Amino acid sequence: MSGVERDFSAFVAARATSLLRVAYLACGDAAEAEDLLQTALERTYRSWDRVRHDSPEPYVRRVIVNAAISRARRRAILSIIPMHSPPERSARATDVDLRHVLMEALRALPPRQRAVIVLRYWEDLSETQTAEVLGCSVGTVKSQASKAMAKLRSALGRESAEGVIRNAHA
Amino acid sequence: MPMLEEEIRQIMADETARLQAAPDLAERVMRASRGRRTRARVAALATSVAVIAAAPIGYLTVGSVATTGQEPTISAMPEPPAIDDTPPVPSKPRELGDLGDGKEFGQVKVGYLPERLRWSNWSVDFGDRYSTSYNFDGDKNSFYCVQIYMYEEAAVQELDDRIQQYRDEGDGEEVTIGDRTGYLVIQHVGEDGMKGTPTLFLRMGDRQRAEIMFSPTYAKEFSGAEAVSAELKRIAEGLTSTR
Repeated sequence: MSGVERDFSAFVAARATSLLRVAYLACGDAAEAEDLLQTALERTYRSWDRVRHDSPEPYVRRVIVNAAISRARRRAILSIIPMHSPPERSARATDVDLRHVLMEALRALPPRQRAVIVLRYWEDLSETQTAEVLGCSVGTVKSQASKAMAKLRSALGRESAEGVIRNAHA
Repeated sequence: MPMLEEEIRQIMADETARLQAAPDLAERVMRASRGRRTRARVAALATSVAVIAAAPIGYLTVGSVATTGQEPTISAMPEPPAIDDTPPVPSKPRELGDLGDGKEFGQVKVGYLPERLRWSNWSVDFGDRYSTSYNFDGDKNSFYCVQIYMYEEAAVQELDDRIQQYRDEGDGEEVTIGDRTGYLVIQHVGEDGMKGTPTLFLRMGDRQRAEIMFSPTYAKEFSGAEAVSAELKRIAEGLTSTR
């Protein structure tokens, strides 16, 4: 194994699971997340000489998120994913359902809004860093995050859903 | 931090805790990359392909770890999953032919182009969708500056759906181009973090639409977003149907 291959393998071994989780949250599907990750890593590997001297992880993350947005738009996923209503059953009976509802609500967000939520609240990126990943302004990140949160609140029914979530984690 | 954000974070953690990258991922990536290079060098390697297909390459299914919590299962798969945005062996689409100065192609005439731009000698023809581009040197292998993508007949719906998505997201704005309507938006189409592709969608009758795009690199030549938008509108104004 060459030095480049050793370098790359070490990076993948250390960060692939974390990146797979980002990919899953960005696209909402485990199989597609694997495909996105592999695609992103292939692109990264082809540019490894250039990328490894900086920080490869932000580069891969950026490829993943932008590819997820691009694919979602191309496939017009938004037009075929139904919006879900908040569950009407009791809290204890819906632990799993509630998580499902929230994940479905996340999936139903427009791709860039979903990406903003994932980068801000999962990756803990600042608004500036999120804007850099998505290639947009900080103002756009703020407005997209605000719209996304409003949609999640609406889809979940903030008052009832937050109580149910608390019970689910109790 | 507000409660909902914390809860979303917690549920995302719960939801992804089961996911683990396959231990052989790096190896697969490097193998795929080597395979891609090989495919690019050699047009037909039927014998090798047959050998590869027959080889018992282990492919870890991460989903099986996730749902069962048991050891990963290994299934024999000859190749990694198909990648829909980077097909390994792209088929070459038809072209529109020699367009001369490039100011008339398909069923549209280009009345205005920014200074210094000339036809790139590149075009693509999918029937009801076709496109060409303009750059500084007329070299089809150079980067594009302006691309015009036309949609006609059944393909119009595809574009209208895309524009509607931007509307739904509150992204972009409606514009009027003479007596025609359009939609101005910055598209993010996988430029890996660049500033996006300034685009004007123009309605040219019931069964014809144009998508006029500035490359992110070319857009930097202008003083700002307003100058880019103004230039996109000028191109749109000069675009006429020959249907």
